[in-house]
This record gives sequence, structure tokens and C-alpha cells, in this order.
Amino acid sequence: MKKIILGTMVVASLAFSGSVPVVADALYQKECASCHFGYQPALLNKASWEKVMGSLSDHFGTDASLNKEDHQAILSYLVRNAGNGKITTNNDTTRITQSAYFKKEHRKIPLNVITQKEVGSLANCMACHTTADKGSYSERDIVVPNYGRWE
Amino acid sequence: MKKLLLMVGLSILALQAQEFNAPMQTYMQALSLEAKNTDSTFNGFDAKRGETLFQSKHMGKKGVEISCTTCHTINLKNNGQNVNTNKSILPLAPSVNTGRLSDVKEVEKWLRRNFNDVLNREGTAREKGDVLSYIITQ
Repeated sequence: MKKIILGTMVVASLAFSGSVPVVADALYQKECASCHFGYQPALLNKASWEKVMGSLSDHFGTDASLNKEDHQAILSYLVRNAGNGKITTNNDTTRITQSAYFKKEHRKIPLNVITQKEVGSLANCMACHTTADKGSYSERDIVVPNYGRWE
Repeated sequence: MKKLLLMVGLSILALQAQEFNAPMQTYMQALSLEAKNTDSTFNGFDAKRGETLFQSKHMGKKGVEISCTTCHTINLKNNGQNVNTNKSILPLAPSVNTGRLSDVKEVEKWLRRNFNDVLNREGTAREKGDVLSYIITQ
């Protein structure tokens, strides 16, 4: 029993150990991931998701508004599955890239690697994290365009 | 004779592939009514006017000129690309992507969003009807 508790504690402390639960909501996938990568709910906390969903008519400069019903369903999915691990700590903004942990993990990437057309911005997870859509951001799955493996 | 009838039947089917389905026809009629209510000289939607609007350039919210073709390209049978995220967009032309213009809810959503992004306002009933009349021919 002690072992189980210890095991649970270890898992909990690694709330973001390079992987997050995959997107498991068809409506979220359809409505949000038709324009951009389907960011997993655990990558932002509840406060952040509420801000994102509260400003969809100006969503990073684009109108991404939804009808009332879909808006409510997606907000509810995101809030229910919002993150609380180190990736979301002290980040109540609408941008995953503003997370201190995220910044630390990406600090060594040269600017020209990010701005090249195959990547564009740090918001384009799939450009380098080849298994991001599976919820896996582990280092061994990173392949940076025109650079190679990130080791 | 049977063959001829079959051929006529098939060509009618082929023509209908470029027409709105029943829910979309109802939606177009509602737009038409709304257009007439705001302008008594309105006498039907015009695909050519829709094409011109589709290709017209406007100052976007990010200080760069934008048009519908920025993302959807000038040839609606081709894939497009989201100018902000680089994500690929499937063709808008119903002739190559049969799901297009088939769902009123989807159509309303994208017209609202995209008019706001390109023209910085919602489209009028006439503008929406014109653009849909253009896309359906593609």
C-alpha cells in the first residue's frame, strides 16, 4: 500500500514530464484544430482557458467565435481537463509560450530555427515535436527541421 | 432509348452536384429575402460579384493587406493555407470537396469569422449570397 502511495506521489510530482493526456473531445478537435495544432487542455490552467474562451472573437488577431452551444461545450471540456502541473505554474495568460517552464525548455533554440518557414513560431508544436499530437513532448521525439535531432 | 434516358439522367445528376442541397437552398432564400428587405432594387445574387468580392483586397487587422484568396488561393480547387498558422486548408470548391457548402451551421460560422477577418465587419445578406453563389460554381 505504501508503495502505491509513493508511486502515486511520484507520478503526481511529474505532472508534466514531457507528456500530457491526448485530446479526447471530437468537438474541440474539429473546431479548434481545424486552424491550428490541437493544444492539449493540460497545457494551460483553468484561468488561462477561461481567458482564451472569453475572447474568441479576437483570437490572436483572428475571429474564432463559436455559437453559444459549442462554445459552452468546449469551455467545459477545457476547464475540466485544464492543467495544474509545472507547465502551467504562474502562467495565467492565454499563451502556452508564456509559461516559465516552457520558456526554460525552449531557451537554447536559436531564433533563426524558430522563424524559418517550416516552423514559423514556438506555437507550432508539431514542427519539431513529432509526437505532439499523441501528447508526447519527450526529447527523443524531437526533430528540428533543417537541423535534426535535438540532443 | 433506355441508354439515352440514362445519359440524360446522369447529366442531370452531374449538374445537380453543383447545386445547393435543400437546407442550403432554404438558407439562400432567407438571405435573398433579407437582401431585398434592405434594398428594393436587389434582383438576385450574382456569382461574378461574389468572385470580385472574394478576390478584393482589404487592410487586415494585422496591418497587412488580406483577401479571401490569401488563405484559400485564387483557385478554389486547390488546397489553401492558413496565413497565421501555416496549417493546410482543404479546397473550398464543392466540385472537388463535396462537404463544402453542405452544412448551414458551418457556412454561417465561417462567413461570420472570415468577413470579420477580411473586411473587419460582418457581411451583408447580399454579399454572403454573392460569395456563396460564386463558390458553388467552383
